[in-house]
Amino acid sequence: MLSRVAERLYWLARYIERIENTARLAQVHSQLMLDMPKSVKLSWHTLIEITNNEDFFDEHYDAKTEKNCCWALLGDRDNSASLMSSLWWARENVRTTRDTLPRETWIYINELYLLVNEKQEDFYVRSKRNTLLEQIIRSCQAIAGMLDGTMSLNTTFQFLQLGTAIERADMTSRLLDVGAFFVAQETEAQEIKQFESILWANILKSVSAYFMYRQAVHMDINGKSVIRYLVNDPALFRSIKHCATMMQTQVNTLPNTLEINESISELQALIEKKIPFELGSPVLHNYLDDVQMQLSKVHNQFYSTWFHPSISQETMQQQSQ
Amino acid sequence: MHIENNYPHHTFYDEAISAEETPRKASKDLFKHLNNMGLDELKERQKTAEKTIAQMGISFTVYSDKGNIDRLWPFDLIPRTIEASEWKQVTLGLKQRLKALNLFIEDIYNEQKILKDKIIPEEVVLTSKDYRPESRGMKLKHQSWACICGSDLVRNDDGKFYVLEDNLRVPSGVSYMLENRSVSKQVMPEAFQDINIQPMHQYTYELLKMLGSISPNDTENPEVVVLTPGIFNSAYYEHAYLAHEMGVELVEGSDLIVDDNDCVYMRNIDGLQKVDVIYRRIDDAFLDPEVFREDSTLGVPGLMRAWRAGNVGIANAPGCGVADDKVLYAYVPDIIRYYLNEEPLISNVPTYECSKEEDYQYVLQNLSKLVIKPANESGGYGLLIGPKASQEELDTFSKLIQENPRNYVAQPTLNISTVPTLCESLEPRHVDLRPFILHGEKSYVTAGGLTRVALVKGSLVVNSSQGGGSKDTWIIELEDK
Repeated sequence: MLSRVAERLYWLARYIERIENTARLAQVHSQLMLDMPKSVKLSWHTLIEITNNEDFFDEHYDAKTEKNCCWALLGDRDNSASLMSSLWWARENVRTTRDTLPRETWIYINELYLLVNEKQEDFYVRSKRNTLLEQIIRSCQAIAGMLDGTMSLNTTFQFLQLGTAIERADMTSRLLDVGAFFVAQETEAQEIKQFESILWANILKSVSAYFMYRQAVHMDINGKSVIRYLVNDPALFRSIKHCATMMQTQVNTLPNTLEINESISELQALIEKKIPFELGSPVLHNYLDDVQMQLSKVHNQFYSTWFHPSISQETMQQQSQ
Repeated sequence: MHIENNYPHHTFYDEAISAEETPRKASKDLFKHLNNMGLDELKERQKTAEKTIAQMGISFTVYSDKGNIDRLWPFDLIPRTIEASEWKQVTLGLKQRLKALNLFIEDIYNEQKILKDKIIPEEVVLTSKDYRPESRGMKLKHQSWACICGSDLVRNDDGKFYVLEDNLRVPSGVSYMLENRSVSKQVMPEAFQDINIQPMHQYTYELLKMLGSISPNDTENPEVVVLTPGIFNSAYYEHAYLAHEMGVELVEGSDLIVDDNDCVYMRNIDGLQKVDVIYRRIDDAFLDPEVFREDSTLGVPGLMRAWRAGNVGIANAPGCGVADDKVLYAYVPDIIRYYLNEEPLISNVPTYECSKEEDYQYVLQNLSKLVIKPANESGGYGLLIGPKASQEELDTFSKLIQENPRNYVAQPTLNISTVPTLCESLEPRHVDLRPFILHGEKSYVTAGGLTRVALVKGSLVVNSSQGGGSKDTWIIELEDK
């Protein structure tokens, strides 16, 4: 397989995963906003922070209003990390790898693109936004299901899996960081406490793991157990541990993977560690930072091994952010 | 009341309806179907066709000042029909023409016999923008220089086909021809059941076979790739389509490298893999920055070295555009006679060369009756249609011709034929036809071609970038009744 094609397939899967996650994030966040007390510093801007879009937002927008935040995250084509940009790139990546994918891939992605493009004004309007996000999530699930159902276990599929796994792990760690953000708030710890279960329940929902958590963990919802569940539950498909296993499975049968294998092992060791959790302290945040750094290391090695073996790392990340 | 009874009278040759206002032989069964459906049903099906095109994402790119716009492919439901027996003759003529042109190109880059015998003035060939001294001395397998040709045919009011131009550099449109067929099969399945329409989808197999046949290496399964300038090229859709249909890699310049032994490789995830044949969709000028434009980032440094060393086949070969020059066009009948000792089976449109003294005077005095074409542009750009031009435009062209006569040719305005097209009712619109011809170990001509239609009433410009649309083309085998 061509290096360039492998790179685009990898990113295609990342974008599809990212579109779904971003949509879910926005959806869950608006629910959370309704439940949280005014005194908790939760705003639409938190969405911008979780997704690392602060710099872009400060540069392009004035007020941190619902409309602005939603548009920056969802509809704004100038923001390379917005849902719409991810969708545009996903579509371009299918267009340039069409010959390796089932024919439906293009039709589904193109259909989704046409739909969102037509209705993008709905991102502004609270009453219509959820319906559109719902449709987007459903389409992404349909695409993922179609690929699972129609492909064979070939190199194309393997690079798609790698992209899905790494993006999913990254997003899970970011969402946990929202929790970490609250855990770290010293002064308001008391007040948050009574809303803790709502907060963590929403985090579970935003990675669509609420239902599975309820079935697997029979106790009340609290930070410690949600974190453990999302980080190293071996059975949950969205846990970081499972994502790491998914990557390792694929990497094992791809060429030249000595270095990558080592890094994935390091990631796995990190996941197996006892996760630090302490109210009023940034230790959880720091831990999640380490996880994200390790994911980024693996990502870079994908580049140096398969996508751009001899080119320096700065020029090669045109698609990442 | 039949649909064809409302069809407007006009003086042009109509492909479907004869002067007696009845369907021609090849259109009889089609009109039976159209009448069964009725106008309202046809309009519904036209909408379905447009929806199918949006869903399949069949698009093309228009370059404009405001950036590039991706537009949906314009398609008209009503097909153009041609009788199989007539098409067979056209096919022979097209093969003959391409064979002669390939012999010509090989001669030009080698002995130049045709120039020495004074059949064509030397300067016409050697001053052509597409003459490449870098290709001199090359002899190619099967003389396959122009392996893929997309000739533009028109039918004049005498009912005869004429070749308007030979596109030998990187002709495009074949994917649209095939997609048109897919769409029309979807929206008019009944017609395909009842009428003997020659299939056209074998084109991609024939293309792959032809590309394999020009491989200079003795491998059982030659590694063929399609080289595209990338996603921002207006024909990208087609490049991806062809690669997919042939099951070969679609590569960009940066995916290929040429090593010190002058072999071409593509970069794979597990290392380098040798490439035998490149179907390039990049102009000569961008092909190899070592030889042509240094600033080209689309090409592959060293590609010309590899080609000259005989390690890779390139389709079409560098420099074959020399036979696709509008001045040279005038000499194609002579070229056919010279190399094949045969009379041309398809006619040329009479062409005036502004660089010839007697033609020059005639052209300047009759600008308003002629079509003026720059010698080396494609896509219908820089064209003057005399009878439709303003005084100002005529003056501009008069000046341009006087400044650089070699750069212009003129042809009489043809009364090109029309085909019924779905508007409010059926109305005649002008069409041309681009069949695709392959020349490798064997020759092949598509069953029909891409019919382009000028959707604006009275317009003669069929280019999709300028308001043109397209139709499916049916080659019809008539049954003896």
